[in-house]
Amino acid sequence: MQTKSESVCQPSDQLLYVPEMMRIIGIRNLTKLDKLFEIELPGKRNLGHRPGQFVELSIFGFGEAPISVCSAPQKKGSFELCVRKAGTLTSALHQLREGDTIGIRGPFGNGFPIECMAKMDILIVAGGIGLAPLRSLINHILAKRGTYGRLTLLYGTKQPSDILFADEIEAWKANEGNEVLVTVDYPSADWEGHVGVVTTLFQKVTIDPENTVVVSLVGPPVMYRFVYMKLLKLEIPEDMIFFSLERRMRCGVGKCGHCQIGDRYVCVDGPVFSGREIKKMHESI
Amino acid sequence: MQSEIVLEKPALMEMLVRVLKKSRLMAPVKRGRVSFTFDWIGDSRQVVTDYVRTILPPKKALVPPREILLEFWREGKQGASPVIDDTPFVLFGVHPCDLAGIEELDLAFAKKNDVKDPHHAARREAVTIIGIDCMPDEYCFCTSVGTNRTRGGADLFLTPVKSGYLVEVLTSKGAALLGDTARTREPCAHEKAEAENWGKEKECRITRLLDVDVARLPDILETQYESEVWERTAKRCYSCGTCTNVCPTCFCFEVDDKVNLPLTAGSRDRRWDSCQFLDFALVAGPHNFRGERPSRVRHRWLRKFWYLYREFGRPFCVGCGRCTQACTAEISLTEVLNEIAGEVT
Repeated sequence: MQTKSESVCQPSDQLLYVPEMMRIIGIRNLTKLDKLFEIELPGKRNLGHRPGQFVELSIFGFGEAPISVCSAPQKKGSFELCVRKAGTLTSALHQLREGDTIGIRGPFGNGFPIECMAKMDILIVAGGIGLAPLRSLINHILAKRGTYGRLTLLYGTKQPSDILFADEIEAWKANEGNEVLVTVDYPSADWEGHVGVVTTLFQKVTIDPENTVVVSLVGPPVMYRFVYMKLLKLEIPEDMIFFSLERRMRCGVGKCGHCQIGDRYVCVDGPVFSGREIKKMHESI
Repeated sequence: MQSEIVLEKPALMEMLVRVLKKSRLMAPVKRGRVSFTFDWIGDSRQVVTDYVRTILPPKKALVPPREILLEFWREGKQGASPVIDDTPFVLFGVHPCDLAGIEELDLAFAKKNDVKDPHHAARREAVTIIGIDCMPDEYCFCTSVGTNRTRGGADLFLTPVKSGYLVEVLTSKGAALLGDTARTREPCAHEKAEAENWGKEKECRITRLLDVDVARLPDILETQYESEVWERTAKRCYSCGTCTNVCPTCFCFEVDDKVNLPLTAGSRDRRWDSCQFLDFALVAGPHNFRGERPSRVRHRWLRKFWYLYREFGRPFCVGCGRCTQACTAEISLTEVLNEIAGEVT
């Protein structure tokens, strides 16, 4: 007999692949292709995530995909996901309105090493939508400003209209102890900022290699190689460099095999790995 | 719990008839002229006790090629509930290599990170497994990966002897299955010797061998990551995924949604996937971490004899020979390993 069980009173293992239904309570257009969704947990619970962790987002009939949490853990009762309209699932998500429900599993993954960042300067290198998970970290750092040293954000996008969280970037800039540089590959007529890929920003900032933790999320994956080379040139130790990797994932719990890199699984052992680890992981970047 | 009894051939058939009255039974049946498959049995006379290998491993009984993970509804109060199949069944006629395969699926689905896949766990709990010893053909290499005497995973294990079968009763589940079968008796000394000889003869008949101790393979493969063997092998490979489908230890899966016609409800299904398929490691961009065929070919060998070996402490290959026999391009798993090993020794 195939037993159908109500999701309420089952041991958690039975619900390993069953998402919990949550309500979209806010939608903000960030760019032509990127929207920010605010999602409320039942009973206004906290998601209880660490910056850098991800959830599996479901729309029944369209499937499930891993999406990084974009809000800081300090945000209570709800969380945010920044999603680019790219495939079937994300296009379906972009059609949804406030009040609609989606399925969520997680949070999954290790997240950024916020403990070892304490008292250190933080250098964040972001490319395109890579800023989304890093916003979780940035807002966490700003909420506990005294715990961390200087914060430097180097952020690159293709063109000015792709810049995410432009209003927040202005606020981050204004905060004492922060330095924020933004660059674009293809400037518009009215763009007055930096032009070039994100690695061109390194020469414009001063980094103390003995007291800096670097966190980076860039794409396409080959960009990590260029960022890594720049960081090594700055003599930043490889175990102070952290990259968050993207992989195809189906389960989020180390079973489906898609995100395997060597004997590591990006969904449970990552997505954040140190430069020292990545150096030993074939096909990682 | 471990004891030995003798079950004569008619008594075994009687036991299977009794099993069929109480529960479902999956066992090897003849399929084509020379092929066998594990299938659900309607009539105990279909059951084959003497075969070399089935097309698909008994993995299909525990993690079916396609199964429903959950059912969902899209209208009104949206939600989903898991679909767990915990119907008791008996899996008969599993060879030692395939028992090892079942143990390895346990590691991946139940033990890893202490997270239990509920669908695999329910079937694993529901199944009673009867193993049976075998004689190899030219594709078998169980002795090279140490699975020729595996009993793990089995509840009963049968070794053919002249009078019938010497039965190792390995668990209380197995004992319960024997239940009140009257026609069992203590084995005599010559029957025990006969069963022991079976195992020895099987070892002698194996012709396919790894040239190196399997325990050295993780280190060897680590040094041969850039070997030309991968490129050469990939030139013959079609990326058809047959090797992973027929493998008792390959457990990777894909998940997709199916919706009913009025689009009000549906199911989320999982199906066997293959790392040999082009889209297996594809991400947005699009960027493919193993877009070239040699990298996918290499991944299969590295995963079985390095990655998962290091992770779980045993090779994720049981020496059943299915991938080599099934490969349309006649790529041999052992020959590739021997070529690689030959480069360093």
